[in-house]
Amino acid sequence: MKVQLFVLILFFSSASVIALIAYYVFRSSQPTTTNKESVKDPIKKRGIFLFIWFFILAVIFSVTLPKSPYYIFTDETPNQVVYVAARQFFFMLANEPIEPNVPKMEKIEVPVNKTVEFRVTSFDVNHGFAIYNERSELVTQTQAMPGYVNKLRWKFKEPGNYKIFCLEYCGAGHQLMQSSFVVK
Amino acid sequence: MTTLSLKKTTSAWIITILVLFIIAISFGITMRFNQGRDINLNPDTFYSIMTVHGVTMIGIWSCAGMMAVNYLLSRYVKTSVKLNVFAYAFTVVGVLMIWASTLIGKFHAGWTFLYPLPFRVAWAKWGTPLFLWGLTLLAVVWLVWAIGMVAQILRNYSLSESLAFQHLSRTKTPAKETPPFILISFVSLIGIIICLVTAAILMALLFAEYYSNGGFVNDPLLVKNLTYFFGHTIANEALYLGLATLYEIMPEVSGRPKFKTTWYVALGWQLSLFFILTAFFHHLYMDFVQPISFQIIGQMASYLASIPSAVVTVLSVIFLVFGNKIKWNIVNGLFFLGVTGWIIGGIGALIDATISNNIVLHNTLWVPAHFHTYNAMGNVLFSLAFFFWVGNEFVDSKDYSKFNKLLLALLIIGGFGFVIMFYIGGANSIPRRYSVYPKELNLGDILATLGGAFASVYLLAILWIFIDLMKKCIKVFSSAR
Ligand code: HEM
Ligand SMILES: [Cu+2]
Ligand SMILES: [Cu+2]
Repeated sequence: MKVQLFVLILFFSSASVIALIAYYVFRSSQPTTTNKESVKDPIKKRGIFLFIWFFILAVIFSVTLPKSPYYIFTDETPNQVVYVAARQFFFMLANEPIEPNVPKMEKIEVPVNKTVEFRVTSFDVNHGFAIYNERSELVTQTQAMPGYVNKLRWKFKEPGNYKIFCLEYCGAGHQLMQSSFVVK
Repeated sequence: MTTLSLKKTTSAWIITILVLFIIAISFGITMRFNQGRDINLNPDTFYSIMTVHGVTMIGIWSCAGMMAVNYLLSRYVKTSVKLNVFAYAFTVVGVLMIWASTLIGKFHAGWTFLYPLPFRVAWAKWGTPLFLWGLTLLAVVWLVWAIGMVAQILRNYSLSESLAFQHLSRTKTPAKETPPFILISFVSLIGIIICLVTAAILMALLFAEYYSNGGFVNDPLLVKNLTYFFGHTIANEALYLGLATLYEIMPEVSGRPKFKTTWYVALGWQLSLFFILTAFFHHLYMDFVQPISFQIIGQMASYLASIPSAVVTVLSVIFLVFGNKIKWNIVNGLFFLGVTGWIIGGIGALIDATISNNIVLHNTLWVPAHFHTYNAMGNVLFSLAFFFWVGNEFVDSKDYSKFNKLLLALLIIGGFGFVIMFYIGGANSIPRRYSVYPKELNLGDILATLGGAFASVYLLAILWIFIDLMKKCIKVFSSAR
């Protein structure tokens, strides 16, 4: 299951559980109920709750952290390097480094199932560099920051036409910035 | 002691905040309908509206928290009405400056004005300095206000008492008790002070570049860290101020004993200050040049921040209500609903604060989804609860009105409907901050139209509340006692 669908289901189910608990707590407090401390031994209950919640978080933390982009494909040598430079309001993609004052836009083709490295920077403001597959699903992304080069590594599992959108607000043409490349 | 002049100032705050809120919501609905292609704005108009919506919302709800704390502080320490009036007057000036720069000057660098965008002038030349000076004015005025309130607390409670250190012992009861309200206000005000000092440094760096004509150039990564330290912290501390009022008011309007500071309440809030100041790193997860240790701290602090709030505050509210005889009314009703919305938004935030999810959620509509949940359905409701409570003080009444069922339905359906469209958009990779969506992502259009429609229902509820509150707020000005 793709991450986005998983988190959406996770979110809606937790939100429903929380709403149900809230409703249940609310219903338990109608004027007919007596007014004595109804929760016995609250400190112990807090302790149990703390323990369970901490445990859940610790498990999620240790499962998800290794999947962070900083750790994936780091021990591989990339098969291809793609240079990316963003400007208001377009992307330049090339197979060699791009100089700030020499616009360069090449048709890019990268191999399927091989490690590709994108070296992403910007020549003016902050931009985003987000890769979308043919079903318009966000696959991966990094920021394009002036003065810095972010290295994004990825292995494309499906061939096809991939789109690039800008995911950092960069001015009135932000929604128009796009580019594309082919995975073969 | 609450005086008439304090009531008048508070009333002026409430009227101003609600009027600005209604206008800012209308801007929000306008944005949604533009994204749905129901109306057609120029991109620069859209983004000017987006910028002014963001600053106004963050500004008014921070002020709402500060002025509520200021009001309630007067129960425990001597507060200064002059300081409160000073803050009010200059906040209005600051807001007018920002509104002029965005709505007339068309400044549209977003409410986070991420460097170097403000300097790539694509609007009236004076827009950039007016916006930045407006923000600087607000930061300085609120800094003075927050420091003033901290000083007022310190006159009655020592530093360690304000932080409730004497409550940490599990065995002996301390000689002098620190009410939870004092502890939470103090911790949040300290957080606000740290955050506003950072804002002042950030502004100084930006002005240095702006006025040096290229003699001084900033480091974009450093400025981004400072920007999000400020932005993240102010938004979160505003919510904590709302929780301080909850601790103070909710038991007394429910006919239940006051909350007490216990060792775990003290410890929880002391720790929360620490976590809130490091969680902002989650805004830079997609900057791979940032040291990896910061990224890990970001995820860890974001997770840990949920522990004190969940284990302490949420359980306190549940234990207050569960199985007890509660006098339900609009005040504790809004608090209770607000806590629910806050937690639901918190789950959305935790999901996004997980780096391996963030790679596909960062800067999608998932972001406005979660922060609108804990603001529009969380913090805003805490502040509205305070407004209703203090409205009764204005007219010397202890009879809190009932939570009208229709009003409740409008709030819940409108509010949650509005944010659900954002969540679905985020999970479908629709970017945030797009004036219109490209054809590949046109699922965003219909979601936006629906979101705008739900938000209009929410606006109806707010107008209802506004009319209700105005009756009481205006009365204060005619009373002469
Ligand atoms: C029902 C009321 C509201 C509506 C209809 C609304 C609508 C919107 C919309 C459409 C956006 C732009 C989303 C995008 O990125 O595409 C937005 C952004 C934002 N909203 Fe709201 N909003 C509401 C309430 C609030 C509240 C209560 C807050 C409180 C803090 C808030 C704070 C913000 C902020 C900080 C932004 C980001 C602005 C930026 O990207 O520069 N909003 N809102
Ligand atoms: Cu861009
Ligand atoms: Cu952009």
